[in-house]
Amino acid sequence: MASQILPLELIDRCIGSRIWVIMKNDREFTGTLLGFDDFVNMVLEDVTEYETTPQGIKQAKLNQTLLNGNNICMLIPGSSGPDS
Amino acid sequence: MDPSSTGIQEPFDLIRLSLSERVFVKLRGDRELSGVLHAYDGHMNLILSDVEETVMIVDAVDGTLEGQGTVAKRKMEMLFVRGDGVILVSPPSRM
Amino acid sequence: MDEQTPPPPDHGSTPPPPPSVSGSPTDFLKGVVGKRVIVRLTSGVDYRGVLSCLDGYMNIALEQTEEHVNGMVTNRYGDAFIRGNNVLYISAAESL
Repeated sequence: MASQILPLELIDRCIGSRIWVIMKNDREFTGTLLGFDDFVNMVLEDVTEYETTPQGIKQAKLNQTLLNGNNICMLIPGSSGPDS
Repeated sequence: MDPSSTGIQEPFDLIRLSLSERVFVKLRGDRELSGVLHAYDGHMNLILSDVEETVMIVDAVDGTLEGQGTVAKRKMEMLFVRGDGVILVSPPSRM
Repeated sequence: MDEQTPPPPDHGSTPPPPPSVSGSPTDFLKGVVGKRVIVRLTSGVDYRGVLSCLDGYMNIALEQTEEHVNGMVTNRYGDAFIRGNNVLYISAAESL
């Protein structure tokens, strides 16, 4: 029988670890996951935002941030993101 | 949550306190409105009167960075705004 | 405040994080009301101001708001209501 771990359980196990968030558009975030809710709104700490533009990748550092779950596409647990 | 000094406890209070006042509304599609707010609902559907609309028309020439957009203005007496187009509503400054 | 959801289910395997550390979105928002924040919209426009309050749709009321487009201040508002569907993130402008 297939394992019974639910997708959000996996994310729950990532709390306290680095996570890489890829949005539906050309934006990505990495940060330490502090928490999330059923909409996958996420609270991240020590955040880097990456925006892919025709001019290249723009990076910005952010403090503690609540990321709206609406535009999230994929989550990569334990990854430091595009730099790694 | 304790109310801040302005007595606003939820975002819609800001709108409620602006009824009958002139408000600035930013809409999707580079549109801005200034008008007197008569009604609103939970979708942020709005009724405005004595409205001036400003539309930023970005020149189709690609590669232009910022600026050089033309603006078109027009006036409407009474207007219904569908809430899903609303980005921001700013009431007149209260001092 | 009218918050939407309970915290994610805890299946008894791991203890919940210590309550002093702000974890869930609700905790974050409680901690950030009254503080300076950066609200980025999906369009890339930023609003910097003091967070008055917000609701479960992420509708936001900001005070002393500055609108930033491409790093330049393009507008200032005493108060601003931002409709939640446009919000990409809310970030603390000062460390919590």
